[in-house]
Amino acid sequence: MLFAAPAMLLFATFVLLPLGASVYYAFTFWDGFSAPRWAGFANFARALTDPTFLMSFVHVVFYIAATLIFEVTFGLVMAVLLNSDRRGFSLMRGMFFAPVVLSMSAAGVLWKFVLDYRTGLLNSTLRSVGLGDWAQPWLAQPETALLFICIVSGWKYAGFYMVIFFAALRRIPRNLYEAARLDGANGVQQFTAITLPMLKQNVIVCILLAVTGGFAGFDLFFTMTNGQPFGATEVPATWIIKQAFDQNQIGYGVALTVVLTVVVSLISIAYLKISERGNVTRY
Amino acid sequence: MSRATERRRNAAEWLQFGTAGVIVLVMFYPAIWMVYSSFKSNREIFRAPFALPSQWRWENLVEAWNVGGLGTLYFNSVFVTLVAVSMCVLFATAAAFAFTRLEFPGRKLMYRILLIGLLLPPPSVAIALFTQLRDMHLLNTPWALILPGAAWQLAFTVFLMRAYFISIRPDMEEAARLDGANTWEIFWHVSVPMVWPAMLTMVVLNTISVWNELLFALLFITDDAQRTLPVGLVRFSGYHSTDYSLVFAALTITTVPILILYFILQRHVIAGLTATAMD
Repeated sequence: MLFAAPAMLLFATFVLLPLGASVYYAFTFWDGFSAPRWAGFANFARALTDPTFLMSFVHVVFYIAATLIFEVTFGLVMAVLLNSDRRGFSLMRGMFFAPVVLSMSAAGVLWKFVLDYRTGLLNSTLRSVGLGDWAQPWLAQPETALLFICIVSGWKYAGFYMVIFFAALRRIPRNLYEAARLDGANGVQQFTAITLPMLKQNVIVCILLAVTGGFAGFDLFFTMTNGQPFGATEVPATWIIKQAFDQNQIGYGVALTVVLTVVVSLISIAYLKISERGNVTRY
Repeated sequence: MSRATERRRNAAEWLQFGTAGVIVLVMFYPAIWMVYSSFKSNREIFRAPFALPSQWRWENLVEAWNVGGLGTLYFNSVFVTLVAVSMCVLFATAAAFAFTRLEFPGRKLMYRILLIGLLLPPPSVAIALFTQLRDMHLLNTPWALILPGAAWQLAFTVFLMRAYFISIRPDMEEAARLDGANTWEIFWHVSVPMVWPAMLTMVVLNTISVWNELLFALLFITDDAQRTLPVGLVRFSGYHSTDYSLVFAALTITTVPILILYFILQRHVIAGLTATAMD
């Protein structure tokens, strides 16, 4: 018990205590300085009618859907493509994974340059191949800003999922493929009949990671656009921080965090329940 | 991995190599572009974004280092990461040892409670944590990042260390106990040397997380002298948003050492991450 005490104490003080305090503050009007006043469900009622907050969930769902494509699916494709013992592949896997170790803020600042209207890599490439008309201020217009944040997120994290799927691919017994080849299965058939079913459990874990991570998404949004242009990239985390620290509405901000926590927990639990029913062992 | 006596590649393998190569190079190119752009003048960056610098201006890096106070940022980041990671891995190893090798009331319950931390997103307590740290007079000190930083990595670290303990049979510990060693001696002289590889993996993974942490660092530190690199970089790029070469230089200084370190430790990083999602 003594051995578990330091960890439990630290965890209780800096995770559980603020979590409990959040639940209390969520029911108060509080500017963070004077004494909190009891508010009942007023903050929650306001949250449900706060158009920006509701839209932030639409944005984050779009973001999560995009990460499932740009991160998980693309990572899986790259794992298959980079799965070779030939010379050069090890280096390519290392390079593909490299963005994962960078900070989101560094990735965000770098990609603001890549997407810069005048001097960015993307627009310069378009201009140099004669498609200069297509050049756009990608992060400054509402129609493209969110999509490009999703693409940057994909650039940053596809390597993470690639590594997980790659390790899983290596665990599939080779003789399964040999048997399939003898039966006349082609590459695509081998992929759908052997590879995908064998990776099922990894896919479930990866989707869970992408969904819970997506809801908590903050760093990239804050660094690249901080909700701009015109709120087109506002996600729950950025909006919550603005409410609490720019508007001094601690009570309301905390209520929003409670809503976010409940949503994430419910989705995770439901997802794990559903995947369990599919006869899959939980990780 | 590759052997000298490889048989020749067939067309499909060349296609695979080519496709993978193009994708990887296109994706890695922004990092290379960042490095050589940091040696260009602003005028060069505007006139020819793709071109290599006509002369390599090392003074850009020196200027960014001085103007951005990158030395202070680096020092703060190293200090926070070092203390938080050591604390987290040590506490987590002890807890995992207790959860798998010792019998005490509330053992299961404690572990269950800890697992809450696995699914909880940090923004969900950020505000309450801010007011709590303010009341504890810890804001604007390194401890505002160290203590929460370590606490938020605990759930995941204990989870993996426990799995590692379970994968090792407790024979050695039991033998030591029969020889009359006390629990403390067993932990330090038997268990820790056995789980050392897993501890190193957790050090690497936690270092990446704590080093890159942005949200807490943004909220809990408002004093420039205490800031860490991620926030410092964002603020620097905001102040100097029109001075492209300066921001490129700051980016290069803050990311290239990390990338080099990663390429050296690549095996450990990847092995660690793989273990995370597979078990």
